[in-house]
Amino acid sequence: MKVVVADDSRVMRQIVIRTLRQAGYDWWEIEEASDGADALEKIRASEPDFVLSDWNMPEMTGIELLDALRKEGNETPFAFVTSEGSPAMRHQAERAGALFLIAKPFTADVFRETIEPFIG
Amino acid sequence: MTIPATWEPLHDADPVLTIAQDLFSTMIDGEPGHLYPWVGERPSLEDPRFTWVDVAGPVVTRVMLMAGRVTGEHLTRSLLEMDESEPVSDADFADAIGEMANVVGGNVKSLVTNPGALTLPVVTHEEPDMSKDFCLLETYFGWRGAPLGVGLWALTR
Repeated sequence: MKVVVADDSRVMRQIVIRTLRQAGYDWWEIEEASDGADALEKIRASEPDFVLSDWNMPEMTGIELLDALRKEGNETPFAFVTSEGSPAMRHQAERAGALFLIAKPFTADVFRETIEPFIG
Repeated sequence: MTIPATWEPLHDADPVLTIAQDLFSTMIDGEPGHLYPWVGERPSLEDPRFTWVDVAGPVVTRVMLMAGRVTGEHLTRSLLEMDESEPVSDADFADAIGEMANVVGGNVKSLVTNPGALTLPVVTHEEPDMSKDFCLLETYFGWRGAPLGVGLWALTR
């Protein structure tokens, strides 16, 4: 399974990937993207099965990335890992077509429990 | 004009302590109990670094972390799972501590009314001039025996 992890923080990308492995997704083939624009290019090129994205990024935010994908008819399953988990943002994410939103900080258990129902 | 902002949750350090302890127990220490309220006088920071994000809105709220360079390097190594002997680059330092400020800022954002966007983190060696701003909270924690500060300001600019 090909997955794109987008975050402008290299540290956070590393933590997200490490947490995915701890949650049992060590078989996922992960491609990293350093912001929304970079992710958009990589998603177009590699056609991943799933996208896990930060929200607040330079160049193109996570929600702008999701909007851009949906506008061009790309329905790749998409979810957020972000420091902001307010009800308003969760609602905005859901309305834009995101599967779920995981708020930072997180644990491997949270990853497993949240991801499993969608990406079994 | 009345500014629709509620600061009451921020006047108590408990929510900030909870946010910081969650961050440390999940992403830095891997277990709870290593971050605790600093007891005693306001500590001085050796070779300090100031890292902040701003929450836009009717009143801009600044969330700032304050730590000595060496403490910040320990935090960076923990986040990146580096050996204690490995040198920490300025880029990794800024990325790691900036991301910590981002996580605290994002969680603080959920405590204020009518929040706007969160800015990207800024890391400086010099303390930013906030003499004209309103300090909502400044509190210190201990981590591995070293002090670590968290401050919240309502900016007046």
